Amino acid sequence: MSRVAVVGIGHSRFGRRTDVNLGELAFESIKQAVDDAGVDRKDIGNVVVGSAGGWYEESLPAVVVGEYAGLSGAGTMRVEAACASGSAAVKAAYNSIMSGETDVAMAVGVEKMTEVDTPTSVELIGRAGSYTWEFENYGMTFPAYYALYAVAHMKKFGTTQEDLARISVKAHHYGSMNPLAQFQKEITLEKALGSQMVAWPLKLYDACPLSDGSASVVLASEDVAKTLTDTPVWIRGVGYSSDTANLSRREDYVGLRAAVTAASKAYSMAKVSPREIDVATAHDCFTIAELMAYEDLGFCEKGGGARMVREGETELGGRIPVNLDGGLKAKGHPIGATGVSMAVEITKQLRGEAGRHQAPIKHGVGLAHNIGGTGHYAYVTILSRD
Amino acid sequence: MAIRHWRVKDRYYRLIGSRCTECGAECFPPVYRCRKCGSEKIEDREMPQSGKIVTYTQLHEPLPGFEAQAPFYLAVVELDNGAKMLTQLVDSTDESVKTGAKVVATVRRARVDGDSGQITYGYKFRVT
Ligand SMILES: [Zn+2]
Repeated sequence: MSRVAVVGIGHSRFGRRTDVNLGELAFESIKQAVDDAGVDRKDIGNVVVGSAGGWYEESLPAVVVGEYAGLSGAGTMRVEAACASGSAAVKAAYNSIMSGETDVAMAVGVEKMTEVDTPTSVELIGRAGSYTWEFENYGMTFPAYYALYAVAHMKKFGTTQEDLARISVKAHHYGSMNPLAQFQKEITLEKALGSQMVAWPLKLYDACPLSDGSASVVLASEDVAKTLTDTPVWIRGVGYSSDTANLSRREDYVGLRAAVTAASKAYSMAKVSPREIDVATAHDCFTIAELMAYEDLGFCEKGGGARMVREGETELGGRIPVNLDGGLKAKGHPIGATGVSMAVEITKQLRGEAGRHQAPIKHGVGLAHNIGGTGHYAYVTILSRD
Repeated sequence: MAIRHWRVKDRYYRLIGSRCTECGAECFPPVYRCRKCGSEKIEDREMPQSGKIVTYTQLHEPLPGFEAQAPFYLAVVELDNGAKMLTQLVDSTDESVKTGAKVVATVRRARVDGDSGQITYGYKFRVT
């Protein structure tokens, strides 16, 4: 079977980006990725844009971004998988190479979320579940959805608010080393625990911010990748799954079934086990989401997430360092860009280019866990040096 | 919003879900195809008005239209027939809201539409 490699990566600064429009924001990461890959723009056969949309004015972001970046003419589309749109874009770009349609393809993730005010944004995100039954009638918000999981997890496994706060402190610690992160300041456990209550037990510092940003990767077939770079990072496995729109239909509230299924498919396709993962990104839209990810990905047994936090197993120097780029919490979470940003971070780590937050690479394997909504979509992507 | 709400208001006001005539599974909100056995032989069924809390949260930062109620409890409730629904808890003390607590349905004002000022009513639950 042929293979597909990441041969170029690019990443904009995340945060409140009123200084650029959508095309300019996407271009920041596209230019870096194209230059890093050393490809001619005319050889890029497919440009897949991951963007959830709704926050910015453009309704055809793929076309707008393509024109600004000089990519008009290539096949293109916008894909949506909520906060996992970026991973869906990587998967679609990967597919177009695996199918033989093109030798070089791009995945571009972009979102501009700060063009609307915060209440509008809270409403846009809150509508992501079951509009009629949960949002309109009862006023469910996105933090409230994850809070339902947090309460269930605390009840069943004894996870505490302090365990969750430690994940936030970790994110800010690594965010302070990432010049592209939205928040580059360390925080204390006391500050996280004392922050404003949003949906009990989740507080302001348990939640990721609203962000603008873009990230891009250039992918190439095996033959072309070998002519472009000495350090290709191979996409070894992609698993994806989904779950119900109504949260009331879920079997339990202590993990995300879609993430478990996606992980199992990705491990099986990549022929690796959780023990071989050197470094990972986990979708920490809320701290409880990262803790459940440890369990859903098989980094520990179900219910063992809090222990991994307490023992520092997901910090640099721990068994499986997670979110060394600051995660969604500190790096920022421009919805459509996040999945591509994760692919960029894992590629950097596997190339050994992560600088101060470089993880030790033993097996040469990294993993990106990207969730859309509250486990409505799940993508797990496994990358490796060989 | 008004039209969309009008379309489902019967089901919402009377808590009508679905019952599968093949396997007997009941669920809320209504479905076209049984989630348990896959049968399309579905009939309307009024849901029981009591159940227990599966999980919950207290919302401090509400959506527009819900400000007057904040902070308020949201919960996944398992009804006595096994169907689960997401709902609000009202008239319940902080000490009484916990996993496993028994709840019963009660009709309450749901929300006020910001533009039209229209008030909608629906089921909420309270701890017994
Ligand atoms: Zn049935």
